[in-house]
Amino acid sequence: MSIAQAILLAATLQGPAAAPPPVPADAAAVLAEVRRPGAAAVLVNVWATWCAPCREEFPDLLHVARDFKDRGLRLVLVSVDFEEAAPDARAFLAQEGVDFPTFIRTGKDEAFVDGLEPEWSGAIPATFVYDASGKLVRFWETKASYPVIKKRVLEALHPKEDP
Amino acid sequence: MSSRFRLAIPLVLAAVASSAFAGGALPIGSAAPSTDVKMKNVDGTEMSIADAKGAKGTLVVFTCNHCPFAKMWESRIVEIGNAAAQMGIGVIAINANDPAANADDGYEAMQARAKDKGFQFPYVVDATSGVARSFGATRTPEVFVLDPSGKVVYHGAVDDNAQDPAKVDKSYLKDALDALAAGRDVAVKETKSIGCTIKFRS
Repeated sequence: MSIAQAILLAATLQGPAAAPPPVPADAAAVLAEVRRPGAAAVLVNVWATWCAPCREEFPDLLHVARDFKDRGLRLVLVSVDFEEAAPDARAFLAQEGVDFPTFIRTGKDEAFVDGLEPEWSGAIPATFVYDASGKLVRFWETKASYPVIKKRVLEALHPKEDP
Repeated sequence: MSSRFRLAIPLVLAAVASSAFAGGALPIGSAAPSTDVKMKNVDGTEMSIADAKGAKGTLVVFTCNHCPFAKMWESRIVEIGNAAAQMGIGVIAINANDPAANADDGYEAMQARAKDKGFQFPYVVDATSGVARSFGATRTPEVFVLDPSGKVVYHGAVDDNAQDPAKVDKSYLKDALDALAAGRDVAVKETKSIGCTIKFRS
């Protein structure tokens, strides 16, 4: 049994998948969601089912998103799985308890990477923090833990108060 | 100066540092560093980038065993790498991943992979991950092409389709090597792709 099948099975055993199917999006669509009014800060995470560190940091990422939702943090999840792996991505999201809309990348790698952020090399996991105006405050290309993600979200939420 | 202003400075520095980390790869035209660092090859010998150098230039591939993207491109890397050697371009594949992060990146697994896939070029262990750091490499697979004087003439992806070799529109690496062997300027010098992060040793 493949990892994907195991994830699918686990999700099935827990009941019907809660996660909506990831919506195909190019970089412009992801940035439109970042800049959609109403968020005090936006966290964008680019992940894939085949990326072990992405899967490992997922619970911490969702934990931060839950803890700061009331303070206006918006989480935007973007899978870079291939189109035919979209069901695997959805099963993983369901298993992690994601019940909000997410994205799956469309188009060529390079257009997506450069369109989202020219300084990004394309390595994943990649996580981007934007402030309320949609300006990129920070990004990193590595797995991060709850305290690190929280600290960086706080920087975007309260840039002048954070020591 | 107001305390508010002073407090803002570390944030600015942090933002600069994180962006430099991501965009810090060797610029095109710069001299490759760490070329004399000896690394253990799968055949047991010690090899440096300088040792692998060809008369026409050198292909340096940061790759690894475990990354699904490195695997998707692996046959193409072997094909291009084996052909490059015939063109007078030296080739060296470097695994900078910490095997503690994934046992598949251990030395014996590398030996097995090089044999199974028919690598006709060295596949070496960057034992401190220092060579990858000095190149500013961040992911696997990520390639650097050096001209005979050791300057970077191409940096980036193998081609524009990891998933399906039949659907490649632009064979970036192959085109760069063809240009280098023919003494022409490399047309597309920098490209990007999705890839796995390098699991640097701390």
